[in-house]
Amino acid sequence: MTTATGLADARLRKKAKREGILQQAWTRRADYLYVLPAILVMLVVIAYPIYYTVDLSFFNTPPGLQLRDKVFVGLNNYVVILGSDVVWRVTVNTVIWTFFSTVFSFALGLGSALALHRDFAGRGVMRAILIIPWVVSAVAASYIWKWIYHSDFGVIGAVLVGLGLAAHPPNFIDSVSTVLPSLIVVNVWREFPFAMIMLMAGLQTVPEQLLRAAKVDGASAWQRFWHVTFPHLRGVSTVTILLLAVSNFNSFIIPWIMTGGGPSNASHIWITHIYELAFGRQRWGIASAYSVLLFLILMSLGYFYVRALSSGDRKERGA
Amino acid sequence: MAHVVLTDLVKTYGNFKAVNDVTLTVGDGEFVALVGPSGCGKTTTLNLIAGLIPITSGEIAIGDRVVNDVDPKDRDIAMVFQNYALYPQKSVYKNLAFPLQMRKLPRAEIDRKVKDAARVLDMTHLLERKPRELSGGQQQRVALGRALVRDPAVFLMDEPLSNLDAKLRVQMRSEIKRFHQDLKATIIYVTHDQLEAVTMADRMAVMKGGFLQQYDSPAQVFAHPVNMFVASFIGSPAMSLIPVEARTVDGRAVLTGAEGWTMALSPLNARKVRNSTTKKVVLGARHSTIKLHRNAMPDAIPAKAYTVEPTGDVTFVQALLSGATVNISVPPNVVVQPDEPIWLEFDQERLHLFDGETEIALMAD
Repeated sequence: MTTATGLADARLRKKAKREGILQQAWTRRADYLYVLPAILVMLVVIAYPIYYTVDLSFFNTPPGLQLRDKVFVGLNNYVVILGSDVVWRVTVNTVIWTFFSTVFSFALGLGSALALHRDFAGRGVMRAILIIPWVVSAVAASYIWKWIYHSDFGVIGAVLVGLGLAAHPPNFIDSVSTVLPSLIVVNVWREFPFAMIMLMAGLQTVPEQLLRAAKVDGASAWQRFWHVTFPHLRGVSTVTILLLAVSNFNSFIIPWIMTGGGPSNASHIWITHIYELAFGRQRWGIASAYSVLLFLILMSLGYFYVRALSSGDRKERGA
Repeated sequence: MAHVVLTDLVKTYGNFKAVNDVTLTVGDGEFVALVGPSGCGKTTTLNLIAGLIPITSGEIAIGDRVVNDVDPKDRDIAMVFQNYALYPQKSVYKNLAFPLQMRKLPRAEIDRKVKDAARVLDMTHLLERKPRELSGGQQQRVALGRALVRDPAVFLMDEPLSNLDAKLRVQMRSEIKRFHQDLKATIIYVTHDQLEAVTMADRMAVMKGGFLQQYDSPAQVFAHPVNMFVASFIGSPAMSLIPVEARTVDGRAVLTGAEGWTMALSPLNARKVRNSTTKKVVLGARHSTIKLHRNAMPDAIPAKAYTVEPTGDVTFVQALLSGATVNISVPPNVVVQPDEPIWLEFDQERLHLFDGETEIALMAD
């Protein structure tokens, strides 16, 4: 059966090469018909906005004027962006934000997945509790954490002072040096359950017999993890890290609600910065140019995501 | 190599006794098969010996050392698993080297041992491959190799052939037997396939419901099963077990079947039957010890052919007697038709008698 379809595939591919893409499309027109509705929707809600954003990035839109009065400026918006100080600040923030949020969420997720993988009394309850941050609305969580961090009424400050560890409550999100780490903590708290769930699913695919074999072979608990469990998690880990990275790169709610990018841009990341430029200051052209650059960066991340996914497929087919 | 001694071994899960007072000794260099149906406790026993699960009570000694509380890695054992349990991300070479690396052997020595093992198992050309690029038989050989490089005191094998297809299983069976002969290794081998146990093992331990039923050489187990379970489990096709009643007619001991037939017993068999707790006795006979006649004969029991199964070498005829199916083998040139009347003559020297109540084999005083 496999060989038959394999042969048929090979024949089709050969034929396709001879026929050219248009003729091929015509011979397979029924297939195209099936995906047409989806393609139309994608064109309207995705392709057109992308086109419009790219188009807009070549125009200046002075505040106070209507959008149709925009002025063509060529690549000037890009020149402005790449020459500004803010862009570097925001880029560094975004890299720090994305990198540390992803790494810590993954590490914490892996730790809790491993902890919850063993059977113990109250495991179900623990699992449910650990998933709470992920199901809580991001807006609600942001407001709660804003209060937790609050320099006058915050719990953390009160505890620190109460324990005598600080003379007065620290200014977590009003200080340039602590605001970004503080926000990263909130973000990690919110998204580590996602990594945990993914990895818990992955852990269930690790064959028990392999772990037993490693035990007899003399591997310690850590060696069993490193040589047996972790290699089994490689595929799901790659996917999880990429999904976390993309979602962190695109974060908006937590930094926007908690600090709005402040103080003095210390917690601005690309998305919040773009939002502020577009909807706060009506600088549509500049914001669009930023978006185009962001789009290019995310597309390259997306490329690795798809490749990671399909490499798993290839391996399975090879097996 | 070393001997293994299990003394009153018990493993319970809650109220369920998976292994029940098992006591047996595996001699140095001996091949012992633990055999029995699913859930009989054979794999649990093996895992107890390996130290993968803790024992409830009893004692396990490997060599002269009691290993009850010793870690699996320090028991000087190697294990071969049913699903091979090869590390999928590692090449064959690295799979073989892994247990040695874990023991922190010098690299040169690891290399020498891995290559030696590869030579012994004829897989030097496979060393760079990943497990998924190997056939089932090759994977099992790598698993065997990984056990071999360790040069352990005892090899534990958990149904190593049950994932292979029938043809490969026969081939690997003789390879493992050869492996045992060449290495003079102590092997404890778990299988549910009585044929594997009979063909490979020096001694076999037949288990059921967590209890050790019989522990003896395959020939002895085959010839002198201690109870009806062992009798029906070992041998293929299974021994026919016919419920009968012991009586005395004209001063002679006879067995009578539900159909009203009687069978006179030899003096030895008569003495055995006398030891039955009740009149209920079970007559056991292997297919090759029953003679099939086409005409009425003195001492032959009338029956009717039920099904006829030609296999090429022999033809098996099944008949119904006292509600039990009786298997008889005849040469392939004997053509029996279903429903044809036949007469069965039992070999008094080789028939088995069991107590109908306790199911234990009856012995003469």
